[in-house]
Amino acid sequence: MAVTQFVVNGLLVGALFAAVAVGFALIWGVVDIINLAHGEMVMLGGYTAYWILSIATGTAEGSVLLFLATIPAVGGVLFVVGYGLQRTLVQRVIGTDIFLTLLVTFGISIAIQQLAIQAWTANPRSIQVSFADTSLSVAGVVVPKMKLVAFAGAIALTAAMYLFLQRTRTGRAIRAVSQNPEAAALVGIDVERTRAVTFGISSAIAGGAGAFIATILNIQPQMGLIYTLKSFIIVVFGGVGSIPGALVGGLLLGSVEELTAGLVSSQWTLAVSFTLLIVLLVVRPNGLFGEVAEP
Amino acid sequence: MSTGSEDGVLRSILPPGRVNSVFGFCGQHAWTLLFVGGVLGALPPVFGLEEGYYMTVLSEMFLFGILALSWDIVGGQTGYPSFGNMAFFGIGAYTTAILVKDVGTAFPVAMVGAGLVAVVFAAIIGAAVLRLRGHYFAIATLGVLLAAQQVSRNLEITGGASGKILLDVPPGTAFYYLFLGLLVAEMAVVYYLSNTRFGFVLNAIRDDEEKATSMGFNTTYYKTAAWMLAALFTGAAGGGYSLFNTFINPQTAYNGAWNVELIAMALIGGSGTVFGPVIGAFGLHTIIEIVETAFVGWQLVLLGAAVIVTVIGFPEGLVGTLREYAGEMEYYKRGGMAATSTDDTEVATDE
Repeated sequence: MAVTQFVVNGLLVGALFAAVAVGFALIWGVVDIINLAHGEMVMLGGYTAYWILSIATGTAEGSVLLFLATIPAVGGVLFVVGYGLQRTLVQRVIGTDIFLTLLVTFGISIAIQQLAIQAWTANPRSIQVSFADTSLSVAGVVVPKMKLVAFAGAIALTAAMYLFLQRTRTGRAIRAVSQNPEAAALVGIDVERTRAVTFGISSAIAGGAGAFIATILNIQPQMGLIYTLKSFIIVVFGGVGSIPGALVGGLLLGSVEELTAGLVSSQWTLAVSFTLLIVLLVVRPNGLFGEVAEP
Repeated sequence: MSTGSEDGVLRSILPPGRVNSVFGFCGQHAWTLLFVGGVLGALPPVFGLEEGYYMTVLSEMFLFGILALSWDIVGGQTGYPSFGNMAFFGIGAYTTAILVKDVGTAFPVAMVGAGLVAVVFAAIIGAAVLRLRGHYFAIATLGVLLAAQQVSRNLEITGGASGKILLDVPPGTAFYYLFLGLLVAEMAVVYYLSNTRFGFVLNAIRDDEEKATSMGFNTTYYKTAAWMLAALFTGAAGGGYSLFNTFINPQTAYNGAWNVELIAMALIGGSGTVFGPVIGAFGLHTIIEIVETAFVGWQLVLLGAAVIVTVIGFPEGLVGTLREYAGEMEYYKRGGMAATSTDDTEVATDE
């Protein structure tokens, strides 16, 4: 029974990892850079929700509805942050050496992280969401309600992005730029703007996921890098540019981590994740589901 | 790369031709300069530099010089930018800490051991990650660093998360000379290699790996050898550091921020050159040290900003930018804009 419990926990957390990874995969696919500052967007999203709730209620606590109401605001703030970063900094290195794009985003990551420490201290914080009854139990498996809400929220964010990309005009433009920027420019798409919008959307999704992470885990300024790397593991596993692949990858990574924590020790989860990353990269650099990417 | 009126002023103060002749002089007398630099570096303690703040800062400058130059062997010369060099450093640091404290080996033996363990680790890891390129290589090395950090955090022998405290250590002057000696030795090795077949193959791999392979070079062999050379110096430096610092834990041994710092140093100074990374290390470490004293806690914000500005503003680094400037006269003699500039941009976009 314990194993079932671990897997359920893993799936619940894994959906959040997936939502973070989807945005990461989107930037990778469309702008063709690895955004090492992606985890910082998760962190900023968590803090934005935290401060909105703190200002609204005086403490970082609230009912589910109040918390959910902060999500669109978080998404909006992070969209602006992502759009601005692309327009001011990242845009300048697109098309140059891969290494330079990595370094610029790494520089952004450090700067944001350290500014966050200066502004909000390095103490972990979390959002308390109040329920009448904190968890429910199905066939012997205990499911905290907040984790269920976070799971649903993460799936909703991922689905919303998927639909946006498939159905809207901007979404089609984004997919066109990802396939061939020159051809997209030829048919009249503003490539730079589309890339900036992509950055914004990706950051908004990451921020939304960050807000949920603040309710079930905790947030602190230095959390970002781990989420960036987890996203990388998931995207490598699921294949670049595949949203369903990222979703499966996220759920699997969550399960693997919870199983490691439950069966071995919670200290070993990160070591296992990073080793998995290296093994995956070496064995299957194209992912298990993805289109063939340049290794 | 530069136009405008302020350029004219700069050119009259510092004519490109003169910069060029400086480069020429440095190229001709590199061995002498290295020797003189080493002797100058060795003088301060003789003339009364006491153990204390300034000696520590200078030792750290040499240390970062070693790390930045090691990074550059693989990152700049071979074109494989690693985000995980600090893994070698951490492994070296833990090896000496364990050898000195638990096994009771003498410090010099332990340091050689640290270098060797790092080299063995590099050989094993290199076989796996050096097959990857671009994004994949960079992230895989970052994964290696974090995995090594997590493993050290969980093992019994490394002292877990609380780390190891080393009390019985040699005096500060010993480390000053140790790091200086390592740095000079490494610069000599890298400079020597840069004029050998080995160095040329590394540069060929950076410029076009397929072409290097098709010319019959076993690139995996060269890449792994360069990677192991970098690990040797980084590991030995790490081995010195654990005793220099008298304390080692997973956070300090596998310091991710340092990894970015040494990349920034190599880049600011000019990656792919011998003296660039060392100049960058001295310069950036001085600035960071000043900021750290004046505004505690802001040094990493500065580091992030420095990385962004360097990458966007002058990715060639100090030495590279100067060399380009120095080459300007040659460039006008050969026909200026019409002859080269447009070709360059076309080549760049083709890739």
